Amino acid sequence: MARKNNTLVLGVIGADVHAIGNKILDHALTAAGFKVVNIGVMATQEEFINAAIETDAAAILVGSLYGHGELDCRGLRDKCIEAGIGDILLYAGGNLVVGKQDFASVEARFKTMGFNRVYPPGTLPEVVIRDLRQDLGEGESNDSEGPLG
Amino acid sequence: MELVNKKLDLEQFWAERQEVLQSWPTGRGVDLEEAIAYHKQLPASKVMAKKLAQGKREGITFAQPRAGVALLHEHIELLRYLQDEGGADFLPTTIDSYTRQNRYKEAETGIEESRAAGRSMLNGFPAVNYGVDACRKVVEAVNVPVQVRHGTPDARLLAEITLAGGFTDFEGGGISYNIPYSKDMPLEKSIRYWQYVDRLVGYYEENGVSINREPFGPLTGTLVPPSISHAVAIIEALLAAEQGVMNLTLGYGQCGNLYQDVAAIRTLAELAEEYLNRFGYSGRQITTVFHQWMGGFPQDESKAFGVISWGAVTAALARVNKVIVKTPHEAMGIPTREANAAGLKATKQVLNMLKDQSLPLTSELQLEMEMIRKETRAILDKTLELGEGDWAVGAVRAFKAGVIDVPFAPSRHNLGKILPARDNQGAVRFLDFGQLPFDAEIRAFHQEKIAERGRKENRQPSFQMVIDDIYAIGKGMLVGRPR
Repeated sequence: MARKNNTLVLGVIGADVHAIGNKILDHALTAAGFKVVNIGVMATQEEFINAAIETDAAAILVGSLYGHGELDCRGLRDKCIEAGIGDILLYAGGNLVVGKQDFASVEARFKTMGFNRVYPPGTLPEVVIRDLRQDLGEGESNDSEGPLG
Repeated sequence: MELVNKKLDLEQFWAERQEVLQSWPTGRGVDLEEAIAYHKQLPASKVMAKKLAQGKREGITFAQPRAGVALLHEHIELLRYLQDEGGADFLPTTIDSYTRQNRYKEAETGIEESRAAGRSMLNGFPAVNYGVDACRKVVEAVNVPVQVRHGTPDARLLAEITLAGGFTDFEGGGISYNIPYSKDMPLEKSIRYWQYVDRLVGYYEENGVSINREPFGPLTGTLVPPSISHAVAIIEALLAAEQGVMNLTLGYGQCGNLYQDVAAIRTLAELAEEYLNRFGYSGRQITTVFHQWMGGFPQDESKAFGVISWGAVTAALARVNKVIVKTPHEAMGIPTREANAAGLKATKQVLNMLKDQSLPLTSELQLEMEMIRKETRAILDKTLELGEGDWAVGAVRAFKAGVIDVPFAPSRHNLGKILPARDNQGAVRFLDFGQLPFDAEIRAFHQEKIAERGRKENRQPSFQMVIDDIYAIGKGMLVGRPR
């Protein structure tokens, strides 16, 4: 299968400096047994992709809290395809758009942009961990040590 | 260029100005002498420092929203609505995040895409791209003082354009707009850039124009212990005063425990005046600003109004000069104008109802005030020692050594070793002191407060407690009890 490992690239995209959720996710995902490559805040699309290629990551987790997420995330899937990692999991979460918009429409917009999972603000790390385990098919995997706890 | 806390030489300042104004085409629209004349014809009711002085005399707590959108006419409509419908005493112009990182080309794209989409695609007003004349249209469209609010480590051009554009208050500082807002910018650089901003404000002051300066109090906005934000605010006040700034509003972000928050506001101006006087900067107007809870909010709008109103109660009882208001859309990002006005109205209702009541100086309040004084002085005095008498040098070295350490900051120039957590009454204490220069008495106080909560919750204090606290208000509580 394509997902050989449980390495995740985590970061906050664009000119966004919101660091708190990033630090919490880093802690919670690491505690759950994932190998977290945290590229921190103000990360470009290229930085996400380069980190994913270098570490042979199974997923890219994009955070955006400041409202420019729609502008910043556009074209990320295409760039992944160009870089030869077109099948990588793409998650996005946070305050992804400017203003209070119906989350279902935001989710649909981001899924059209090629994201596999889209999360509203205030999502607990447990939810993301559960989805990652499901999407990475950890239950069937026998070449990883498996998540803790 | 070596950083020292010394008023910039005027010749050097003029030379640097030429470079700053040439960094984007709209910089050519700045004529300083003409701008000074423009400010002089503004009525007192539009000048932040004058209205704050009046409020301070009369014991008024003013309310101010945050607001900014990509398109000029929409921005003006938004501000008018917040003034007329929301009753805002002061108005903001919140600057978008591309401009904050000096990415004016991306801001230009954001303006174009906003025009095409018919809605704002930027999270603020890109003032540099618009230039001086557009800023004046904003100032002229409303009846109250307008402040620039942003998060820009290098705000030299933004300051030139917005101050020439008639704004009478400029938020930020070399520490408070770097450590929480940047990843790589060295403190030596941002402090130096902000010396320029303060020198510019000082130049206006020398020419009879009052511009208020407001260091950004809440920093990362999440569980920041008062002594950390007080130390940063006072250092920025000292640095600004050296450059000739005469009017300062110092800020603090609500933590959530009433006694701690009131103690923080009451000690902030007192400590600032103590240090300003001690270092030769007397005669400055010092006012205070309280930010309603800056961390995660409940999604439910009624619950959000609960958080907003609790902030309003604290602001009123603390007798703060200004409160920055949150909105019921906070959990979802940037609010509609209606939601923004709703936050203002809820706040003003509470402020008006409490304006004749006060919180007595109880032993609990006194203890909180005394602890904040001791901790703040410990940090400031060690900073000055590290700087061998120079506050700018000291600030850089203090961050390197972790003598000042801001929790959850994105900057790699912040040590990031301290951990805050709430005690059993919800006051923010230190779970891990990192390298803070605290004595045994201060440490024992915090350790006992945290231990008390651990006993109550039957768990060892750990990072999980901190995570629970960060989510707590969003989930309807102040203290993050075990789930």
